[in-house]
This record gives sequence, C-alpha cells and structure tokens, in this order.
Amino acid sequence: MNDELLTLYYYRDGLTEAERRDVAAALESDAALRAAYEQLCRDLAQLGTPQEVAVKADVVARWHDSIERAARLERQRLPSRGRLLHVPSFAWGTVLAAVLIAGIGIGFYVAGTRVPVLDGASVATGADSTLPASRTSSLAFVRGLKVHLSKSRRELAGLPDDAAAERAALIAQMIEQNRLFERAAAQNGSRDLARVLRAFEPILERLAADDVTPREAEVLQAQLAFELNVMLTKLGRGESEQAGPI
Amino acid sequence: MVAVIERGALPTQTEFHEAIARRADRWYSACLRITRDRELAEDAVQDALLSAWRKRHQYQRDAQLETWIHRIAVNAALQLVRRQRPYVFETLDTDIADDGESPQQDLEDSDLGNALAAALHHLTDIERVCFVLKHLEQWRLTEIADELGTNVGGVKQALFRGVKKLRVTMAQLRSKAS
Repeated sequence: MNDELLTLYYYRDGLTEAERRDVAAALESDAALRAAYEQLCRDLAQLGTPQEVAVKADVVARWHDSIERAARLERQRLPSRGRLLHVPSFAWGTVLAAVLIAGIGIGFYVAGTRVPVLDGASVATGADSTLPASRTSSLAFVRGLKVHLSKSRRELAGLPDDAAAERAALIAQMIEQNRLFERAAAQNGSRDLARVLRAFEPILERLAADDVTPREAEVLQAQLAFELNVMLTKLGRGESEQAGPI
Repeated sequence: MVAVIERGALPTQTEFHEAIARRADRWYSACLRITRDRELAEDAVQDALLSAWRKRHQYQRDAQLETWIHRIAVNAALQLVRRQRPYVFETLDTDIADDGESPQQDLEDSDLGNALAAALHHLTDIERVCFVLKHLEQWRLTEIADELGTNVGGVKQALFRGVKKLRVTMAQLRSKAS
C-alpha cells in the first residue's frame, strides 16, 4: 500500500470498488498506514482553502459591460427577425466590408507606426510612433487581427439569413475581439490606434442592428470610410516624411 | 406547473449581472491559478461570460448559474493556456519544476497571497493544473484527462507528483514558520 493509492482513496476517484475495499481493510488493520493516511488527510486539507484574489473594479465593469452589449445586440436583432430577409444582404455586406476595410486600415496603420523615427521627428501618427515593442510583435499583432477578421468574414458569410441569434452572437464576438485588439494597442502605448478601434465599435453595432435602413447604413459606411481615409492619409504623409529627401 | 416553467426559463441578464457581482473574485482566482497570468485570467472569465450568455439555453436550472459559469471559465482558462503554449499539457513525463521565478510569477504569487500559491509555484504546469482541477475544482480524473487530451494514468502520475511536492513544500513552510 503506498501514498498513491491513499491519495486516490482520499479523492474517492480512480479506484475500483474492490480496490477501495482493500485500502479500507488495510487502514483498519495497519496502524502505521492509518497514521500515514491521517497525515495525508491533514496535509491535503491544509491545501484546500485557497485565498481568493480580488479582481479589479474596472475589470468587473468590463465583464458587466460585455453581458450588457451581448444582450443589447440580441434585443436589437431578435424582435424583428423577419426583417433580416429584407435588408440583410446590404446591411450584412456593409458590416463585412466595414470590418475588412478596418482590418486593412489597421494593418497599414500599425505598419506605419512601427517605422522607426531615426531623427527624432514625430511622424503624422504622433504618439503612436512608439506603438510596438518590436517589429515581430507588430507583425504578430497585425497577423492576429487579420486572421480574426478573415475568420469573422467566413463565419458570417456561412450563416443562414434567418439565424438572427447566431448573427448577433457573432457580431458580439467580433466586437469583443475588437476590444481585445484595442486593449493590446492601448497597452503598447498606441492611444490613437486604440481610439480608432474604439470608434469602429458603435458603427459596427449600428450596422449590425436589423432596423438599420439602407440609407442609414450608407451614411455609416461613408463615416467609416472617412475615418479610415483620414487615418491612411496621415500614415501616407508619415511614410513620405520618413522616406523624405536624403 | 410554474416550477416547470421556471426550470426551463433562460437565465436573465439580471441574473448574469448578479452572478458577476457575487462570484467575480472566485472565477478570477480559479482562472488565475490555472493561467498564472492576470490578463489571461481576465480574458478567460470574459470569454466564459459571453460563451455562457450565448449558450444559456443549455443551462440546467438544477445547477447554480455561478457554478455553471465557473466551470466554463475554468475551461476557458485551460483553452487560453493551451492556445498560448500548445504543448503545455503534453509533457507528462517531465519532473522538472518551474523554478524560473519571473517577476510576473512573483506578482501572481503575491496576488494569491497564501502558502498554497507559494507551494504551487514548485509544480510544473501539468502538475499544477491536474492538482487544481482535482483538488480545488473537484473534477473527476477522467474529466481532467479528457480536457487535457491525455489519459487517466498520465493525470494520476501528474497528480501524485504534484501532491508529493506540495506536501514537501508545505512541510518546509511549516518548519520555517515554527
């Protein structure tokens, strides 16, 4: 009889009924074994009451917020499910386009911001010239973002039109992922990129709503395109300055 | 009849918020013990909450909502660890403790703030996870094996090694204290 059998006996798991009976009989008849088992029980009992770690209030608020958002998206979509059949192609196509444009834009943005500023002059992206810790991590960031967007696109495209709840959940997921990238950008000191990602969120939410009219979706899409153009223009200028006269 | 309807009713948004208010620390602590990384633990709970919300039609009213989400959170934590370190749970034969004390690990240990956290530090990932899932989360050995993609024998060995190391460490801590 060894500690391993006693451990399984303690946990009441991993032993057959016959094995349990054997261990019980041995404990009954062997005082030394019984003492060893009692010590094991005491040791394991001491390990059984871990102290809880208090989670930060802002993190808890984020968790509440994520449920709030998921519920809101669901409410927006579920009551008039039938409308998906009338507006959907345009609205969902717009969502996809917006997300893809955003992904490409962010890719450029991140790529632009990681160009080293050798002469100490700030490029047009301002504070974001300090974005990534390394080229590798920046590339990984952009790659991760693109993978996420491609996956979202595939999943959305593959959904049947009447799967309103699934669509809502997917959009909620995309927004959550967007927030993760936003947080990563913020943690890397890229406030502008984080702000841009934040700005996409309400637009995506609105575009995902099934009461959005084609006209409203057009306006939202234009708004998103404008934001992206501004960003890309800034980046283009920043790159020109970087590659300026020798 | 009412009871039947209630049993079949989906958990509401309010119930989710109440569960967060009551059990946020517990979920986070459980995930932190698995990931040993604050952000991963935070993400695990968030993923779990969204997953639970989406799958709430699967929730059985005879279990507590908090307990159900707790389980999902632990699964999410395991998935995140595996995603970050794909082969982390496949090194069942190794007996090398993780003695490289990084600042992050020290930080998490001080977060856990008790002797168990200190003792857990001397375990490998697989030993720690098997111990946490068995001893603290009270999973069946077969469930652990399924979740980690290994066999029960491997889980048992990791658990035995973990328990052995923990007992030694705890005995040392006790003798230091006395």
